[in-house]
Amino acid sequence: MKLRSSIVLAACAAALAAAPAWAQFKPTKPVEFIVHTGPGGGADVLARFISQVFEKENLAPVRFQVSNRDGGGGLRAMAYVAEKKGDSHAIAVFTGNWLTNPLTRAEAKYTVKDMTPVVRLVLEPALIAVKADAPHKTLKDFIDEAKAKPKTLKQSGGSVTSRDNVVRQLLMKATGADWAYISFPGGGERIAALLGGHVNVMVIEPQEAGEHIKAGNMRVIAQVSDKRLPGFPNVPTIQEAGFNIPNVEQVRGIVMPSGVAPDVIAYYEDLFLRLTKTATWRKYLDDQQFQDGYMKSAELAKFFDSYTDQMRGILKEAGAKVVR
Amino acid sequence: MEALIGLGQGFAVALQPLNLFWCFVGVFLGTVIGVLPGLGPAATIAMLLPLTFNMPPTSAVIMLAGIYYGAKYGGSTTAILLNVPGESASVVTCLDGYQMARRGRGGAALGIAAISSFVAGTFGVIGLMLLAPPLAKFALTFSSPEYFALMSLGLAMVVLLAGASMIKALLAMLVGLWIASIGIDLFSDSARFTFGTTHLLDGVDFVVVAIGVFALGEVLGNMEKRGEGTLLPVPKGLRNLLPNREELKACRFAFVNGSVVGFIIGVLPGAGSTIASFISYGVEKAVSRHPEKFGTGVPEGVAAPEGANNSETGGAMVPLLTLGIPGSGTTAILLAAFILWGLRPGPLMIQDNPELFWGLVASMYVGNVMLLVLNLPLIPLFAQILKIREYLLYPIIFGISLVGVYTVSGSLFDCALLAIFGLLGYVMRRLDYPSAPLILGLVLGNLMERALRQSLMMSNGDLSILVSRPISATMLFLAVALLCLPLFRKVNSWRVKAIEENG
Amino acid sequence: MKRLNGDVLSGLVLAALGVYVIIEARGWNYMSEEGPGPGFFPLWYGIAMVVLSLALVLNAAMRPAAGAPVDWRCVGRALLAWACFAASVALMQPLGFLLALALLTLFVVAVMYGQPLKIAMAAAVGNAVVFHLLFVLALDLSLPVGPLGF
Repeated sequence: MKLRSSIVLAACAAALAAAPAWAQFKPTKPVEFIVHTGPGGGADVLARFISQVFEKENLAPVRFQVSNRDGGGGLRAMAYVAEKKGDSHAIAVFTGNWLTNPLTRAEAKYTVKDMTPVVRLVLEPALIAVKADAPHKTLKDFIDEAKAKPKTLKQSGGSVTSRDNVVRQLLMKATGADWAYISFPGGGERIAALLGGHVNVMVIEPQEAGEHIKAGNMRVIAQVSDKRLPGFPNVPTIQEAGFNIPNVEQVRGIVMPSGVAPDVIAYYEDLFLRLTKTATWRKYLDDQQFQDGYMKSAELAKFFDSYTDQMRGILKEAGAKVVR
Repeated sequence: MEALIGLGQGFAVALQPLNLFWCFVGVFLGTVIGVLPGLGPAATIAMLLPLTFNMPPTSAVIMLAGIYYGAKYGGSTTAILLNVPGESASVVTCLDGYQMARRGRGGAALGIAAISSFVAGTFGVIGLMLLAPPLAKFALTFSSPEYFALMSLGLAMVVLLAGASMIKALLAMLVGLWIASIGIDLFSDSARFTFGTTHLLDGVDFVVVAIGVFALGEVLGNMEKRGEGTLLPVPKGLRNLLPNREELKACRFAFVNGSVVGFIIGVLPGAGSTIASFISYGVEKAVSRHPEKFGTGVPEGVAAPEGANNSETGGAMVPLLTLGIPGSGTTAILLAAFILWGLRPGPLMIQDNPELFWGLVASMYVGNVMLLVLNLPLIPLFAQILKIREYLLYPIIFGISLVGVYTVSGSLFDCALLAIFGLLGYVMRRLDYPSAPLILGLVLGNLMERALRQSLMMSNGDLSILVSRPISATMLFLAVALLCLPLFRKVNSWRVKAIEENG
Repeated sequence: MKRLNGDVLSGLVLAALGVYVIIEARGWNYMSEEGPGPGFFPLWYGIAMVVLSLALVLNAAMRPAAGAPVDWRCVGRALLAWACFAASVALMQPLGFLLALALLTLFVVAVMYGQPLKIAMAAAVGNAVVFHLLFVLALDLSLPVGPLGF
């Protein structure tokens, strides 16, 4: 079905045309692009998009083949990457889950420490939204009511270790307010619960919320982000709204197996740098309302440490069982 | 009126030769890949998504919708011919479809599946076109208590799926519930029944259990005796390969039932086509004049679930296109694809992108027709599979079962699980445990537990939330009534006996 | 002498499973501050499982077993077929999918159905080739690969 040979031909031609003189390492066979979700999951769509851009813009001499290793809440993909030690033709998309899940899962055999950080690519900000006809105009309104009438307000969100709940825990701790958290497995169900009036508030990704806000179904009362998003210049961030809690970043980027040579890391660092310079990538970030979070390998390693420490503290405070 | 004008524009888009071509390509590829077990609509769309990246958005959306349809239909082919459910929603099709094939009516069963898919699929599109905005509002009134009641109603269907022994059916269902709860608990993030292995953290995939219990159980059962001929009789002549008039007549109500049930359940985000197919089968059996014949190869037992499965497509598009809320894994992928092209399905899509919306609706009509035109002639071809000699066919079934399972997760552990569930399927068959309730419990278990716990979280532990809401109270009442049905029948037969003895 | 009764045996196995489920469920939170915990649902279906399976056992023990006696030759054949299938799954890792499938085909055709070796060989090779063409070449799926590169 796929015209493999023609792709290979095109790729060879591209390699001849654009062979960079400075790089010692160049992939010589298709690169396995590992993701921890099934086809259609967030990381899968990102990986397929990236390999598409590589192909379209002739950024790499070989094909990047997406390989779905879903299962175990990301642990299976992590084990798969870690066990490929020394393989310079395998990269993987990591998300915040790769950093937090091993903290609470006794079954996890590996952490990101067992891999080579390559680059950080995007930061995903979020919004705090209520239904358009809700009485809460600001985050303070909501918190005040949650303080006055504990346990009557509800929030829809994902698993208890997700950012949604972490933000809630931080806010509850800082203010003494109390509201319920109801887990739903899919983003669609969370939104449906809010729009149906079954819950009062949710943390939502901007691209998920965009249409509902425009259509007047939802109101944004605060942003979970370091700085205001271009699409929402008039909505304060949580900190600007007067609640002094640490910002919880959601990240995505690339890691690869440990034990690879420095020139291999340099090659991929540069490859992804060139990706982030393309117009297609810029448009993608705008469409998804992501922030460019490009960061090189050495910085990323430090980021992993500080992020893990922060999450460990937050999860412990939230009452989750932290195992490492 | 507005709808008619819109639809007119839509057909103008959908009938452009290029779009017609892409619709055909989508339906064709969808059917071909959907035939393979394990590769359901979601995986098929994901696999073929890159093909559409270079197309104009309208053509791409039309092609993806075609794939969606084709893959849904394709799943029933192996279910009917080989008892291998191609995807979760075709498990119910196995019950009567495979039995029809055993009686030499495999071609007829495929034909009924195609016709029912066409009728119900068309109904689903009409529903989508006319009722989308009000229905989307209705779907939003469904909260966790209603979902709990819906799942209870679904589980009560076990009464209708039971064979000779109700206790065994209930036990099979409970085992299904147990398998469903293997893995990480969403609410507490704790692992349950995982035996300390990471492989089970995400739970046991439905496909593994369905293929193991249905397909391998059946093959192992057949291999008890050394037959050397063909597995099933294949009648000669095209006429005998297509459904006859009586069979179609028997399906009249099933077409309607499948259409309506599938559409309504499809509209609810968080239900899905598997539940739709189970419930429509249950409804069909409950109102049938000969419920005892279900499971022996009655055509309406194929028509109802197949119809529901395809009508669900139209239903699932309602929350997706009007609210931007994906109701199932497949629509979630469609949503992701839409977003990749910079389209935002949602409350404003009909206003902002009328060409795309109506083009999609019109292409769904066109896709349905193509599906029928493409598949009726293919039936005789597919039926030839049954002419393969037994000793050749079984290794092939083993092979496609393994490929089906391996492609879902790329895990050899799942292949080992497949072997275990194959053995379970065989043992259940030997000891007269029905397998459909096991699947029912597996499909509904998680959804039901989740909805129950969400409800109780919303009410701070007060159980009355389940019965104080009208829709959920009604459905729970129906579920209890359904569960009491066998008791009632038993009492009635005693009474009749007593009267006879007295008289 | 009483014949081994399938209902009694399976009932006991299921009762044991039910007890296991209850024991595990007792170890998890039944009710937490946020609502029902992970032990809530399993506890109840575990109890239902024990009750129903004991009902099945009693029911079967009271009624003398009816029906035809088990033909162990048939069961043996089915179990042999299953063992081959399981073995081929185990061989997928070291040998690759295609070789494991070919061996499985060979065994089924030649041993279980007693066909001449020539036919069995042809079937084995043919089956593997068709699977390779269809799934690996046409659909681009990745299947386990053996040391020989296929």
